[in-house]
Amino acid sequence: MVASRIRTTLRYFGLFSILIVMVFPLLWMFRVSVMHSGAAVGFRDLLFGGVTFVNFLDLFHQANMGRYLFNSIVVAIVVTDANVVFCFMVAYVLARYRMLIGKLLFVTVIVILMIPAHILIVPLYVLMIKTGMYDTYWALMLPWLVNPIGIFLIKQYLESIPPDMEEAARIDGASELTILFRIVMPLCKPALAVLAIQVFFTNWNLFLFPYILTSSESLRTLPVALAHFQGHQAIDWQHLMAGSAVAVIPVLIVFAFLQRQIVSGITAGAIKQ
Amino acid sequence: MKRSSLIALLLLLPWLITFIVFWLFPLLMSLIAGFTDYSLLSRSSTEWIGWNNYRELFVDEDFLSAVKNTFIFVFGSVPVTTVLALLMALLVNRRLPGRGLFRAGFFLPSITSMVVIALIFTNLYQRGGYVAMLAAMVGFTPPEHGFLYSNSTALYSIMAMDIWMSVGYYMLIFLAGLKSIPAELYEAARIQGASSMRQLFSITLPLLRPVALFIVVINSIKSFQIFVEIFVMTKGKFDTASMVYFIYDVGVTTAFRFGYASAAAYVLFLIVAIFSTVQFLLLRKRRPIW
Repeated sequence: MVASRIRTTLRYFGLFSILIVMVFPLLWMFRVSVMHSGAAVGFRDLLFGGVTFVNFLDLFHQANMGRYLFNSIVVAIVVTDANVVFCFMVAYVLARYRMLIGKLLFVTVIVILMIPAHILIVPLYVLMIKTGMYDTYWALMLPWLVNPIGIFLIKQYLESIPPDMEEAARIDGASELTILFRIVMPLCKPALAVLAIQVFFTNWNLFLFPYILTSSESLRTLPVALAHFQGHQAIDWQHLMAGSAVAVIPVLIVFAFLQRQIVSGITAGAIKQ
Repeated sequence: MKRSSLIALLLLLPWLITFIVFWLFPLLMSLIAGFTDYSLLSRSSTEWIGWNNYRELFVDEDFLSAVKNTFIFVFGSVPVTTVLALLMALLVNRRLPGRGLFRAGFFLPSITSMVVIALIFTNLYQRGGYVAMLAAMVGFTPPEHGFLYSNSTALYSIMAMDIWMSVGYYMLIFLAGLKSIPAELYEAARIQGASSMRQLFSITLPLLRPVALFIVVINSIKSFQIFVEIFVMTKGKFDTASMVYFIYDVGVTTAFRFGYASAAAYVLFLIVAIFSTVQFLLLRKRRPIW
């Protein structure tokens, strides 16, 4: 028994060490975000320096943090809702209609999954400029409305649901759209929730495309705004970390409540990041 | 047209439109642009220049260095991440009190915004910063201006951060793989007196092989596209520019050489395509892990 107790102790020691390493940088961010402005971010100040929330207030009063937060929320919500509805529609067709092109479309979805999105940097930029969508909300949302991973995820789920209910409803004379949105969609709720969370996180954290496809200060999302903060004058770590905390806190809240769905989404949708 | 196919078409429409407008058309356009001198700044009309862009790429010092850095990044961070993720999964995969806490804590960095992570580590890596202090404590002299301001440490510092960030995500995938191993196998092994080490090497690791392979390939595909951390932390200086950074830099910041950047993008595409094909060949006969 002594041997097994030692082993458990060692295991906990390992687990705690890793936990400290994994969580430390985030704690560091929170600590710096509540430090007095102008204080050197040294070790002594971290332990004994006071706590103030004035950095957060500054961000909302002097910088345009409220606007950035608003942009991030609006864009993420629109993109997430669109993905839930549109991916479901496509997945339904792929899963239920026995069409010849169905297979072809599915292969297309798989192929898109394997194409690195970053090769779109130049052509999307040119496209947005030529169509006048550059530096508008359209540029932040339109390219991401239907996510092939989402189609894939929902299709797999739909195929595990027998079509009995739909057929019964069809015999009762329900229209196709009623069947689709009133009967099948509620059945897909677990998979749609997983999809929604994943899309929300991805979009919330998106940086490169929002950065290159907009230029106005008023269109910045949180990650873009943070990158701009840093790009300016000498780095003011207290405010920068407070801004980072604003971007992280919503994610932490969602994570705390929906951990199970998030984890199952990772393992189900792991096909592509 | 039959009514049902009309409905199907209607349902597909939003996807088809966004797919064609924001994926297919831009991709084809940039494939063509790669063979022209298309640029925002040039006054003259765009001309067809054949393979010239590609020829230029392979003698362009900046591009070659970006390719080199990208490969160092991928081949350095992917194996380390995989091994660490596996070890962490094995540690967590026991019925222990507090297991959920560890799993959540390990996973936390990978759902945090990359920009935020990069900013935090810029602070940690700076001159006289926390990491420098730790390094000094173990007798290592940190670079004079901070870890991100030295050719010899910048890229590796970013790699370490990336490993730290993504390891929890891959741990979760390993955990799913561990869960799918039937418990009877371990029972049978125990009855026959196999030690836990023996069980690890004869049951766990061989059965995790497809999962590990899967992780290596998706992580490689993702790592080939490294950009944000480099943009935030070094702006491509100190020998850290990656291929995507090169595309970004040449394409949409100063030179606006759309044709040239498109060609570079297709080189990246080709590399990733080769990896994806390898993935398919290696995983084809195996049950998918989801």
